[in-house]
Amino acid sequence: MANKITVTFGSQHIAIPEPVSFVFETENEIITKVDVDVGYVHRGIEQAAVTKFKYTNVHYLLARVCGFCSITHAGAYVHAVEKLIGVETTKKIDYLRTLVVELDRIHSHLLANGHVAEVCGYENLFMQTVKYRESCMKLLEDITGNRVQYDYYTIGGVSRDLTTEIEKSIKNTLNELRKNTIKLMEFFETDYTLGLKTRNIGKITTDFAKKMNCVGPIARASGLKTDARAEFDFLPYEELGYKTQLRSEGDVWARNMVRFDEVLNSIEICLNVVDGLDEGDVKVKVRGKPKGETFIRVEAPRGECFYYLKGNGTNIMERVRIRVPTYANVPVLRELFVGSKYSDAQAIVLSFDPCLSCTAR
Amino acid sequence: MLKMFSESFKNLFSKPETVLYPFEPSPEPKNYRGVIFYNEELCIFCDKCEDICPPGSILFEVVDVESNKKEYNYNPYLCIYCGACVEACPKADEGCLTQEKDRMPALAGSGEQVYKNEKLGYFINRTKSAKNLDFQWREIENKTKESREKLAQHKALKRKQKQEALKAKKASSE
Repeated sequence: MANKITVTFGSQHIAIPEPVSFVFETENEIITKVDVDVGYVHRGIEQAAVTKFKYTNVHYLLARVCGFCSITHAGAYVHAVEKLIGVETTKKIDYLRTLVVELDRIHSHLLANGHVAEVCGYENLFMQTVKYRESCMKLLEDITGNRVQYDYYTIGGVSRDLTTEIEKSIKNTLNELRKNTIKLMEFFETDYTLGLKTRNIGKITTDFAKKMNCVGPIARASGLKTDARAEFDFLPYEELGYKTQLRSEGDVWARNMVRFDEVLNSIEICLNVVDGLDEGDVKVKVRGKPKGETFIRVEAPRGECFYYLKGNGTNIMERVRIRVPTYANVPVLRELFVGSKYSDAQAIVLSFDPCLSCTAR
Repeated sequence: MLKMFSESFKNLFSKPETVLYPFEPSPEPKNYRGVIFYNEELCIFCDKCEDICPPGSILFEVVDVESNKKEYNYNPYLCIYCGACVEACPKADEGCLTQEKDRMPALAGSGEQVYKNEKLGYFINRTKSAKNLDFQWREIENKTKESREKLAQHKALKRKQKQEALKAKKASSE
């Protein structure tokens, strides 16, 4: 006999690091109906950006939308404003920006994979992953001056240059990190128990991913070729050895493996940046004020991030609209829960790597 | 599976990765973005740092309207340590505004005491107690606003007087 129980998952739950609420209706452990609420951390940042801040320092505000992709939000805004004003950056500036963006992606992906291992019962593997990730965080702290809020992007340049000492440490650390990542990949790939919790669970087919407009590693794990880094030229990815990473399985395991593949690719990009860095200034002169409207799409660690800006030639922007990757992935998450076991829900949520402070803003 | 098991076993006997912070030092890295230091002697009072500061933690209060004398007020507990002011400062190379790698000590648990340093500007050095620091800062904000209005009025008055003097001169010469 079917036994119907309503189970709440969030807004505060030991598995989810951020406030999102799911209300499951379950029938003998199988989920039949889902309700989602994502608006717990709304802070009114979009409104603040068009009322309280001048266009010259909105990116310091937007960097505080999210701790993980702070560089993505600041970067997207700066790229869009530069498009409006008509600033052309030099090769060196583009390279330095790429370096920090990719390092950010590396540490975000490693933590996401570690979290999946943690909710599957592998506290040990989580600790190991975070231990390796720490080297990347230290590198970012050395380059930008802070662990979380990099504030590296400025309109028309970056805030500081690399020294030869840091260049050396980047090379050493990343070579070490590459070895460690391959080691972690082996654990994820070969471990039997972890496989039971991740393989063939939360499966998304390519057609379904296409239909629900998935973005980021979730889409790429289902074999859907979508990546803003390949489609748009906001940063010179092609010449730095970027390759789209695809997997066809579409389950929790494939999402983890795509993230690992991307970490390895990002390490390569970072090493290429350090090798190909020119001499020169890290800033160009900026004249004029943003006028007109534009949009930009950049690749955040979690997927495609969309920015729409409208300026009217004054110091304050008229409109700043953000659409973040997690918001695009929530519908498919909801569909995915129906029919899966309640015990798999934690691994499915964390394989999506949801960022709710981005989503609610 | 065996590999993971052996790795876990190794980790049992390896050194901990964490730092025992209060007992061991955990120094800031070389390029850490910490507190902002100010040197009044080098300042040209262009107000560029005040304009760019995102949370508004730098304020120049006009003390004397006649000579346009300004006082630098900085609230390190409102600052987000982005370093935008140092980038905007035209005299930053000479050391007017610099970003040090030190952190401000926490307010909580310090009782009435506030850490004071000459280079932190007037606001922190004039506060007597750590309580209601945000309230005291709001007072500074209001004062600054008022003083700016006064300065604008004074300037407008002077301009008027100048024009009148010019007119009088013209009239007398004709």
